[in-house]
Amino acid sequence: MTDHLDDVAHLSTCDVCRRRAAEGLDVNLDAVWIGVAAEAWTKPAGRVERVARRLLRSPGLARALVTTPSLVPSWILASVAVLAIGALATESTGTPWVPLLAPALAGAAIAYAYGPGVDPAFELSRSLPISDRMVLLVRVLAVFGLNALLALAASLATPEIRGLSLGWLIPMTTISALGLAVATLARSANAGVAAALTGWALVVLGGAASTHRLAAAVTEVTLLPMYLAGTIGLALLALHASSGHRMERRTWQ
Amino acid sequence: MAVTVQIERLCQRFGRTTVIEDLDLEIGMGVFGLLGPNGAGKTTLLRTLATVIAPAGGRLRLLGLDPGDPEQRRELRRRLGYLPQAMGYYPNFTVFEFVEYIALLKEMPAREIRRAVARAIERVGLGDRAKAKLKTLSGGQLRRVGIAQAIVNDPELLLLDEPTAGLDPEQRVEFRALLREIGGRGTVIVSTHLVEDVGAACTEVGLLHRGRLVFRGTPEELAALGEGTGAGDTPLERGYSAVLAGARAGARA
Repeated sequence: MTDHLDDVAHLSTCDVCRRRAAEGLDVNLDAVWIGVAAEAWTKPAGRVERVARRLLRSPGLARALVTTPSLVPSWILASVAVLAIGALATESTGTPWVPLLAPALAGAAIAYAYGPGVDPAFELSRSLPISDRMVLLVRVLAVFGLNALLALAASLATPEIRGLSLGWLIPMTTISALGLAVATLARSANAGVAAALTGWALVVLGGAASTHRLAAAVTEVTLLPMYLAGTIGLALLALHASSGHRMERRTWQ
Repeated sequence: MAVTVQIERLCQRFGRTTVIEDLDLEIGMGVFGLLGPNGAGKTTLLRTLATVIAPAGGRLRLLGLDPGDPEQRRELRRRLGYLPQAMGYYPNFTVFEFVEYIALLKEMPAREIRRAVARAIERVGLGDRAKAKLKTLSGGQLRRVGIAQAIVNDPELLLLDEPTAGLDPEQRVEFRALLREIGGRGTVIVSTHLVEDVGAACTEVGLLHRGRLVFRGTPEELAALGEGTGAGDTPLERGYSAVLAGARAGARA
């Protein structure tokens, strides 16, 4: 039989020669399958992740950001619901519930942003090139930013509290720092949430007891130095608590 | 033999407890088995080599890099794989998503990640479960996911803490073959309680007792030490128990 394997025109019309040519091909089927599997199994990155990749210039950090427990849709929806109820309650009672709720919500969300008590792969993440502190920073900033945006939107949608402007923003920072510091110190997100909620409740009730106004915690300018000092002190504490050495001592004690 | 892991007078303490004491060890390419009773310091040694914890004393040089230097540590982390004893995971991630997440945090080149992840999943025999959520997997399958994330970057230094826990006999045989394959191109340090794993897969073995290396040699040399003396069902078990008995007697003397 004549060999036509080099004749492309003939190969296109002759099944026999085409089969013989294929037999001679050195095809690495494993490599082909890996390529097919890689395409079939991959789920394309979502819009938020793609934007985060561009902003952070790190696909790893972007993925770490979108896996933040307190940034999942259910958590965000719950926050929106609480603030919406707060806005409705503000309209019907005149008490500024949105500014009073916003710091507590942010403190709880930040406590659930990252750490050994929250992130299942925390031990593993400490052996990876992208540092856990960088992940912590990115997540905390994102959670805080989102909560601030939600609170701002709720404030703007509630005519009764527009005058309060951003009076809640600084206490929100303080309570967020409190939640983060306690969560990292205690290695427990629940402890961080409890500290944030208790701390903010004490501030609100303390302010109300001394001024007979429930909103004093977000309206009294005299409280600002306390908030600022608290934010700085608690942020430093969180930084210390999240250092590798400190984490390890806690693991073994 | 090129030395890839260099440990000089390594100490690890947690509180008042000394876990590793003045450990000197040099390891090259191949599969190095770490044996020892509970509390001997195997996990602490692996965590130290994985750069999860800093040494309390002594000096480390891994793949020619100093983990004490932040830049070198980052480079080292890109080139190592680590399976912790208790690996946390995200229950709602699929197998592919989890391994991909770790690959991203290992800062692998984006264009290589999909194929690398698919290949790692196939290598541990989880191709048919690649799109399954982690919460639906058995303990043995989760362990294989852990191995997949550890090998996804083709690490030059692979650290595995009890990798065969939960694997059935057939999977363990396949896993040993994988270990031998990786050990042919890099350094694998595997901590295990299963002496037969050492015999089947390791080129060298070290036995830790109370943070000290009390034996180092080939599996055959360990087995030879148990002839006519040690307790156990296999030559390796007899060698293991004979060395331990000697170490305990030495500690009492």
